[in-house]
Amino acid sequence: MLPLELKKIKENLLNLSKKISKKYSYQFGIGLAEGITVTSRCGSIESIEHHQDNKLGVQILCENKQGFAGTNDLSNDSIDKTIEKAKNIATNTQPDICNGLPDSNFVTSDNMPKVDIHHPSNLDIKEIIDMTHKCEQHAFDYDKRINNSEGSTFSYGHTNSLILNSKGAYGMIQATNFILSCIVVAEDGKSKERDYEFSTTRDFKKLESPEKIGTQAAHKTISRLGARSIKTRVCPVLFSPEMSVSIFSDFLSSIQGDAIYKRASFLSDQIGKDVFPNFINITEEPHLPDGMGSSPYDGEGVLTRKKNIVEAGELKSYLLDTYSAKKLNSVSTSNKGLITNIIIDSEKEKIPNIISTIEDGIYITEMMGSGVNILTGDYSRGAFGYLIKDGEIKHPVNEITVASNLKNMFKNIIGLGDDIDRRSIINTGSVLIKDITVGGAN
Amino acid sequence: MNSIKNIILNPYNLTDQKIEKALSIACSNKIDFADIYFEYTKTESWRLEDGIMKSGSSSIDSGFGIRSVSGDKSGFAYSSQYDLKDLTKAAEMSRSIVNHGQEKSVKLGESKKFKKLYDSTSPLDSINDNEKVDFLKSIDAYIKKKDSKVDQVILNLSGTHESILVMNSDGIKSIDERPLVRFSVVVILKDKERREQGFSGGGGRYMYDEILNNQTGYKFADEALRQANINLNAIDCKAGTATVVLGPGWPGVLLHEAIGHGLEGDFNRKKTSAYTGLLGKKVASSECTVIDDGTIAKRRGSLSVDDEGCETQRTVLIENGILKGYMQDKLNSRLMKTSSTGNGRRESYGCLPMPRMTNTFMLPGKHNPNEIIESVKKGIYAVNFSGGQVDITNGQFVFTASEAYNIRDGKIADPIKDMTLIGNGPEILKKVSMVGNDLKLDEGVGTCGKDGQTVPVGVGQPTLKIDEITVGGTQL
Repeated sequence: MLPLELKKIKENLLNLSKKISKKYSYQFGIGLAEGITVTSRCGSIESIEHHQDNKLGVQILCENKQGFAGTNDLSNDSIDKTIEKAKNIATNTQPDICNGLPDSNFVTSDNMPKVDIHHPSNLDIKEIIDMTHKCEQHAFDYDKRINNSEGSTFSYGHTNSLILNSKGAYGMIQATNFILSCIVVAEDGKSKERDYEFSTTRDFKKLESPEKIGTQAAHKTISRLGARSIKTRVCPVLFSPEMSVSIFSDFLSSIQGDAIYKRASFLSDQIGKDVFPNFINITEEPHLPDGMGSSPYDGEGVLTRKKNIVEAGELKSYLLDTYSAKKLNSVSTSNKGLITNIIIDSEKEKIPNIISTIEDGIYITEMMGSGVNILTGDYSRGAFGYLIKDGEIKHPVNEITVASNLKNMFKNIIGLGDDIDRRSIINTGSVLIKDITVGGAN
Repeated sequence: MNSIKNIILNPYNLTDQKIEKALSIACSNKIDFADIYFEYTKTESWRLEDGIMKSGSSSIDSGFGIRSVSGDKSGFAYSSQYDLKDLTKAAEMSRSIVNHGQEKSVKLGESKKFKKLYDSTSPLDSINDNEKVDFLKSIDAYIKKKDSKVDQVILNLSGTHESILVMNSDGIKSIDERPLVRFSVVVILKDKERREQGFSGGGGRYMYDEILNNQTGYKFADEALRQANINLNAIDCKAGTATVVLGPGWPGVLLHEAIGHGLEGDFNRKKTSAYTGLLGKKVASSECTVIDDGTIAKRRGSLSVDDEGCETQRTVLIENGILKGYMQDKLNSRLMKTSSTGNGRRESYGCLPMPRMTNTFMLPGKHNPNEIIESVKKGIYAVNFSGGQVDITNGQFVFTASEAYNIRDGKIADPIKDMTLIGNGPEILKKVSMVGNDLKLDEGVGTCGKDGQTVPVGVGQPTLKIDEITVGGTQL
């Protein structure tokens, strides 16, 4: 069912588009979002924010030239002006034979896959406030060294989006998103640390409890107290699920079509080559129920489908949209402006309690800074983590750096943990990588 | 007068009386203050890559946000519709942060006058679109002609014109029109099998002609090429601790991360900053005096008036090593019983304001930059950075060099690859032992992110020496 407001806008768009001369092709994208964000801090409400955002994007193509224009005013007059602006821009750009709308596989009212990511919820503001209070209180109750807080935040977002183009593509997505998070501060006289925990879902009923979020935020924060630096070394590093998500997201950036055709990635010309060890498989699963990345089609209306990106370590596919596909003499992989759910899997058994298998290494739970170079693969970031000795965590470590090259890091993966994090679009457990240089202060 | 009035207030018949009514609703007697922020922003961006003027885009973002503040509580609602109905509804949502009380009467005065730091006209209309396109094509041709190793050139030219109007429950009305342009160059060189890149760019609150004329654009092109050539010969860096000399200008990212964020009012009011309670204490070596200054004409981080309608100023943060002050917005300064320093900024009408930096830099010292490099027997000279990040609670910060060299026996030696420096804010500035006499501000490309909101900022510093900091490299 199309919401009334969106239906009205769609009709307006169809009427206005009739006026566009046949020499132009076009795509319209509409996004309507609304929601609420509530933060409580130290037992009282800190802020209540009501969100409401509208967005229209227009792409106009003419003789292989293209222009984009956008507005958040969805009145007829404004839509008209936005179309004119996009036409104007198109006339000032240069023709590029790779420009164009998708030729096939686009979404229509008949073929849209059902993707279950819409669970509207009638939440009472009092209930929300109460949830954030409880969440933070559980953190304070966990340990008396938790002596301050940046608060607990709940947010609920509801989005409706619509796409249509001059070739007849038409699609609509409705989605909901819920987040509960908590950030607290702990002090022990010598050090002061902050950490957080969050849960995010498509369905409110599946959100983790305030107790779990608050307690886990407190646990993570307390365990950071007393951190010290270590001697510089080369050793195996276990990356927490959250940090592994970051490493695999660098991988995905390195296989994006636009980086590939510009030869701006260290993974250019690597299709068919071994990029990971042969026990690693990476697949994209766009239609998972309640998946954080699930989507029936991509940003230009091309239907999403399951695909293997890495099979037994070998790179099988780049992430392409219509333009980059033409540039590379290939076909779109339906990745215009989005990557759906990515599953990191292993033919080896995933390792339970993976820390206990490590004799001497570092467990990294946080990385900072922008030291990832997609062109060369060079990797150098600041980090926080824990020293592992004989299968056990010894103490927290700070003021350290991790450095390597992504090419080596991918090849040097020696194990995947079974502690899979489902909050991100990338589903992975912790990843154990050998031979990483850890720089320390003493 | 400003485009807000012509494009929003007049066409939608939003008179002072109607806005006063909305503010009265947002500001019941249990509310300390309320404000309404109107914004109309036009942005455009032109991109050349792969030798083709590939695409252009243009967008308009406009709307209003109403906020009600009571103690440390904020209620907030925004919309891009301008009916009186929407205004009233937003005001009611905003004040729901407290239980209903009596409406306060609000009377708006004339607009406040401010110093003018930049032109109020729109850079987007300052020249024709084909001139912007021709400029990018000529830079592309210039770069390709200059070096046969060029494999890819990516150029971006963008302009923004932001008109804002803030009115608050004290009856104060402030208007600002802010131009902003930015030009960036990425060059990828290929030499045998090796590919490396260089980046350069700049901009500020002015019209396009400042970049298109006077060879400024070519200067950025030369700089990106120079960096890429240096990176082609860069070697792996050694991990561990090192003495590091930072070059002037953009390496001021150090100050932004190591101390800037930690001195923002909100973190100190909440006592979550590593600098909490250190006012009047020594947090840096006596060589260091650090300023945040939103009043420098035409700079990217400058504002005539901040997003809460407060005049910007020059704020001394650290003077000869002693912590002197924080950067404040209205809410946090009220709670800390001080006044706003004009640092209340927001990304757009859809975001709550918070204390943010403007242009943050260190004042020059007494040393000649060569003398600083010569004083280092073995160390690193870092002159360009790709960015940084900080944990304001424990004070750990990182920043990543995109151009750096080994120093051997007081001389600049081989270039080294991307490397990250990590340190602790309150400790690292105590290790600054020499400050140069060559203060330079950055070229105007910096963007700062906090709580998901990004704003344009400036940084700067003279050449300076840090006696010891941890360096991330692959070599032992």
